[in-house]
Amino acid sequence: MTGALSLGLYAVAAGWGLPALIGRLRASPRVAIATWLAGCASVLVAVALAALQPAFPDHAIGDRFAALVAACSSLLAGHALPPTARPLTVAVGLAMVGVLVTRLCWAAVRVCWAARRGRAEHRRAVELVGRPSRELGALVVEHAEPAAYCVPGRRGVVVVTSGALAALDRRQVAAVLAHERAHVDGRHHVLLTAAQVAARVLPWVPLFKATGAAVPGLVELLADDVAAREHDSCVIASALIALARASAPASTLGAGGETAVARVKRLLSPTPPPTRRDRALGALGVAWLLTAPATATLLPSLLSCPVIA
Amino acid sequence: MDRIWSYGAPASVRQVLEGLQDSRTLAYTTVMTVMDKLHKKGLLRRQPSGRAYLYEPVVSQEAHIAQIMQAALAEGGNRTMTLIHFLERLTPDEHATLDAAIREQLGDR
Repeated sequence: MTGALSLGLYAVAAGWGLPALIGRLRASPRVAIATWLAGCASVLVAVALAALQPAFPDHAIGDRFAALVAACSSLLAGHALPPTARPLTVAVGLAMVGVLVTRLCWAAVRVCWAARRGRAEHRRAVELVGRPSRELGALVVEHAEPAAYCVPGRRGVVVVTSGALAALDRRQVAAVLAHERAHVDGRHHVLLTAAQVAARVLPWVPLFKATGAAVPGLVELLADDVAAREHDSCVIASALIALARASAPASTLGAGGETAVARVKRLLSPTPPPTRRDRALGALGVAWLLTAPATATLLPSLLSCPVIA
Repeated sequence: MDRIWSYGAPASVRQVLEGLQDSRTLAYTTVMTVMDKLHKKGLLRRQPSGRAYLYEPVVSQEAHIAQIMQAALAEGGNRTMTLIHFLERLTPDEHATLDAAIREQLGDR
């Protein structure tokens, strides 16, 4: 029972405490995104393991999975459960895991399906009205409102309106298109999808909701970083500013304010690149999050393994 | 579609074909099939004229683009993962905040 309790406590601690911790990290966008997603995965695994643990309290967890498999197979074969397994706790545990897995799959399917359909639809529509520009490597659409965006995916395309081309000079246009290209080439829509799925799977857990909110902004910072390899970060910032100034304010819903401010600050006074130590710590943190719950549950059986003892 | 939008008057498949021949070689049936598809998609309407049809666009090019862009630039933005914008739409407050942040940054340099 203590195993389940500690896993449960870990899940709660991570679910409610990680957002504040991650917020205080001085990490690159890539590491931050990985940490958010790994944190969510960690909590999900911990909850699943916690649900399964009470079912077989007498065995160490390594055996537990074997015992679980044996119990399921004997159930299916029509035999009685082994005497150490308590039917009610097994049922409850399996039910909880079942619910979690179902929620995850359902959220994933809904989000992915809707996103793919929306992207395909828009791509078809914009390919019909946009003029491909080989020089820019993008589709140009005759439209007054300045806008630059990409439709990510396997057949990703970058779209820029004539309004945006009018508002920006050549270097700014190149920088903006490089940023959007970074989204397409980096397949950032996968990260955004994962974050959206996380936000839907356990929306009442702060970590998951915060992941859904944080990842889109981090993805923008990531693309800025990639674009900054080829283009002056001041040019990227000036493009952001020029586009902001050229756009009429949205009457009701705006979504980009906070991110835009963070990006400008970061582009105009860039932080030094992460050191090797920072990167190693980041990778370690992500790896720990992903493996800790499983390792904790496997530890008793590992310790009692005849080879080690 | 470009060709048809530029005419400003209903056009037959033959007329569109002749207009396109300048830039590339196409078969009559190819053009006819494409125009038929556009009609099914609701972008063109047609009326019979003798043995053929005369096609014209349902909405003007401007209006059509406006429709598509409206969907693309609407709220939801990056969170719907359909598109990823370089800069999403900002409310007046967000505009002001950004302006202030910019001035602060540039003032420090």
